[in-house]
Amino acid sequence: MTQPIAWLDGPLWPYLALLLFAVLPTEIWRWLAVAFSRRIDPESAVVEWVRSVATALLAGVVAKLIIAPPGALAALPLGLRVGALAVTLAIMIFDRRKVLWAVLAGEVVLVGGGWLLI
Amino acid sequence: MTVSADWNWKRVALAGMRDALSLPAWVVGLGLVGIGSLARDVGYPVDVAVLSTILVWAGPSQVIFFGSIAAGAAWSAIAIAIGFASLRFLPMTVAILPLLKRPGQGLGMQLLLAHYVAVTAWTEGLRRLPAIAPHQRTAYFLGFANTCMAVSALGTYAGYYLISALPVPLAAGLLCLTPIFFLASLAAGVRHRGDVVAMALGLTLAPLFDRLIGGGFDLIIAGLIGGSVAFAWQRRRRAA
Repeated sequence: MTQPIAWLDGPLWPYLALLLFAVLPTEIWRWLAVAFSRRIDPESAVVEWVRSVATALLAGVVAKLIIAPPGALAALPLGLRVGALAVTLAIMIFDRRKVLWAVLAGEVVLVGGGWLLI
Repeated sequence: MTVSADWNWKRVALAGMRDALSLPAWVVGLGLVGIGSLARDVGYPVDVAVLSTILVWAGPSQVIFFGSIAAGAAWSAIAIAIGFASLRFLPMTVAILPLLKRPGQGLGMQLLLAHYVAVTAWTEGLRRLPAIAPHQRTAYFLGFANTCMAVSALGTYAGYYLISALPVPLAAGLLCLTPIFFLASLAAGVRHRGDVVAMALGLTLAPLFDRLIGGGFDLIIAGLIGGSVAFAWQRRRRAA
């Protein structure tokens, strides 16, 4: 467990820690984007490029959450986690309007498989 | 649902709420249930868990925050990891703001709109906003995003008290909603083959670089390389 910074410790520490070490490093990028976007043409190649980078980054977040998962998810085998994701992706490739079914099917594979294996 | 150009802002905001409640708000809300349990594990009060959902509004950042405290990471390392994981909000926000900007809009309003940028509002916004008249988009987006946030705040609160009582497969299912929904949203937002290439490269490069680079930089590098390759590929394809 990470201990509070001594001279800032007190009943308000969890709130302060949240603001300093989670809200600030997350929100700063949204603020910077507002500052930058005032001079950017939405049809430009730059915006097309940043969209592409953001898409790859988000896909990367997905892969990392599956490879190194938090909490109880780590109790299920890697093959099952990847399998659930593959089922979701397969349905989306088949028909990309079926978001609900894709999410549900992936969850059924994961939870059902977990039930049988554990 | 489709939004008619002559509707007033209340009706447009309501349409945004309805679209959010048609699925996305529930998925994000359920996805953030896990955050409640992670916050409880490190002994932080329930209001810090709920505030993290409202103020951070980024599942991965919240997972890193509470997960790293549990693992005993240094505060500076936690902040740097979250900063890198959130760098994606810069290109994402730059990409969606042009759809929401209006002449005469104040800086405060733009900062507020930017705060809601996270995977759901971003993918759904890019998909739905172009079909809506420009003067109605802010109302629609705020109705949509605030509904997602309210449902998620409730989900986080519920998770704080509930998730440890759930059997392991169900708890795992809740925690896995975030990546599953991220992936489905990305696939739903695909506009051309360049997006498919970006997704495929992101999915494969991130775990690879996690082994090779690590230290929090892996994700950013995977995104930059994957996204740039996909962008260049799409340009060449269009030019050919």
